Amino acid sequence: MSVYTQGVVALMGVNILMALSVYAIVMADQVSLGNAGFMAIGAYTSAYLSVKFGIPIFPSLIIGALAASFIGILIGIPILRLEGLYFVMGTFGFGEVVRSFFMNFEPTGGAYGFRGPVGATLPMIYGWVLAFMVFFWLLERSRLGRSLDALRDDAEVASSIGLNVTLLKLGVFWLGSFTAGIAGGLYAHYMFYIESGNFHILVSAMAILCVILGGMYTFWGALLGGVIFSILPEVLRFMGGWRLSVYGSVLVLMMIFRPSGIISRHMVRNAGEWVGGIFRKASS
Amino acid sequence: MFLQQLVNGLTLGSTYSLLALGFTLVLGLLNMLNIAHGDVFMFGAFLGLSFAMLGVPLYLALILAMAGAGIVTIIIERLCFRPLRKAHFLMPLLSTIAFGIVLQNVATQIWGSEPVRYPQATEITQFQLGPVLVSSIDIIILATSLVLMLGIDQFVKRTSFGRAMRATSEKPQTASLLGVNINWVIIFTFFVSGALAGVAGVLTALVYLQITPFIGIRQGLIGMVAMVIGGVGNLRGAMIGGLIIGIIEVMNDAYFTAGYRDIILFGLFLAFIVFKPEGLFGTKER
Repeated sequence: MSVYTQGVVALMGVNILMALSVYAIVMADQVSLGNAGFMAIGAYTSAYLSVKFGIPIFPSLIIGALAASFIGILIGIPILRLEGLYFVMGTFGFGEVVRSFFMNFEPTGGAYGFRGPVGATLPMIYGWVLAFMVFFWLLERSRLGRSLDALRDDAEVASSIGLNVTLLKLGVFWLGSFTAGIAGGLYAHYMFYIESGNFHILVSAMAILCVILGGMYTFWGALLGGVIFSILPEVLRFMGGWRLSVYGSVLVLMMIFRPSGIISRHMVRNAGEWVGGIFRKASS
Repeated sequence: MFLQQLVNGLTLGSTYSLLALGFTLVLGLLNMLNIAHGDVFMFGAFLGLSFAMLGVPLYLALILAMAGAGIVTIIIERLCFRPLRKAHFLMPLLSTIAFGIVLQNVATQIWGSEPVRYPQATEITQFQLGPVLVSSIDIIILATSLVLMLGIDQFVKRTSFGRAMRATSEKPQTASLLGVNINWVIIFTFFVSGALAGVAGVLTALVYLQITPFIGIRQGLIGMVAMVIGGVGNLRGAMIGGLIIGIIEVMNDAYFTAGYRDIILFGLFLAFIVFKPEGLFGTKER
């Protein structure tokens, strides 16, 4: 694989993780436009630990993600009371606060960025992707997953049958910020260099787009969206300077013609039965 | 010194007020957010620049930039809002983010990504008013913003079309049953919203003299902050919110570190969203 292809594939892994981090919060019917902020906290924390204290990559990733999810809980407690557009604006404000903070925080390089963390490899990135996919797969099948479905369909009914709605929301917010923290740590250790501009609102927006266009009701959508949105900009490279215009226009058109996403749960189930049927035929 | 900063803050803040007004007009009407609003601001600034380069007098360049930015916003309505009127509120929001990417890219292709110097549009004369030094640019900005704000305020309050706008934002279906042409109200509102962003773009560029295709992002966000502080959907609140933000920004730069300006502004935004989502003057329940 050429270095260029490797870079694209690595970023694809990070994008999938970011999409999963948005999907985690979507499970509680909330959409966060601030996940780049959690990504930044994970990235800067783990990078700083690796470079300044020589901590190996795995523990530094975990500590970075724990830091991100700790902030996630702190911010989640007040912000999860908001709904709809206000929640989006609140998380978006959070993301911008984090970005401006790292822009000015001298110990991690301020506006000059932070250099030095190394060590993330493709197998490591995809190991994490696989781990999270398995986790979400198990979650979807668990009792907890059913509770989240109920919460998503109707929060009032969910609380009336005895589900602790606040705790569920806080839980998925923790999960989302943890996932984004891991994504950030991997990104930092793959790129060797991070700056506050890497954690722009557009990063959060892209992660949401992955989830929405992939399909909002299953984590497979996040996977598909992450793949599509990582490849699309590369496919459009022949457009030269107008590439981003075409990219943006494709997004606008996708919204118009496929606003409910590409994958639904129904499709996943059908595909599962189809694959299962092939196996049954083969074995009989 | 303090009075001088206050005047500077009001001047800067009045451009934020125009932006916030555009945000709140659309949000109040459709309950949807146009994230590309800041990029329309940028586009307006560049349009004004192009007209000024052609030797068009300032007031005419201002009007043309207004019209251009308004038309761009009508296009946004057609592509990002109208087809998605029944969709989840996130769809138009994300669609406008994508449209913002297009606008930035188009501006980069036309005008380049390097900062462009704005031509000195008018003779700058300074007036000494007591302890305060006011330039003619300040006066142009303050006067233009004030006229536009008062104009819109009165238009929405007193004219029948303004009444139709208020009715649509209250209950679109009922308004439609009573004979209001909702599509026209929406198109008109988007045009006004964009035109205001365009004016704000040209006026801001007159002060800072340098623009890039990427200035719109922060300006848009600041406009949103001003809108929330003033109370979503509240026109006068948005105007005052903009002025407050402008004063805070200038005071922070004068007496504190300029680097922490955005942390303070967005922190304030976050505090308002969480603890006082109806804003300073809002009456709408969320």
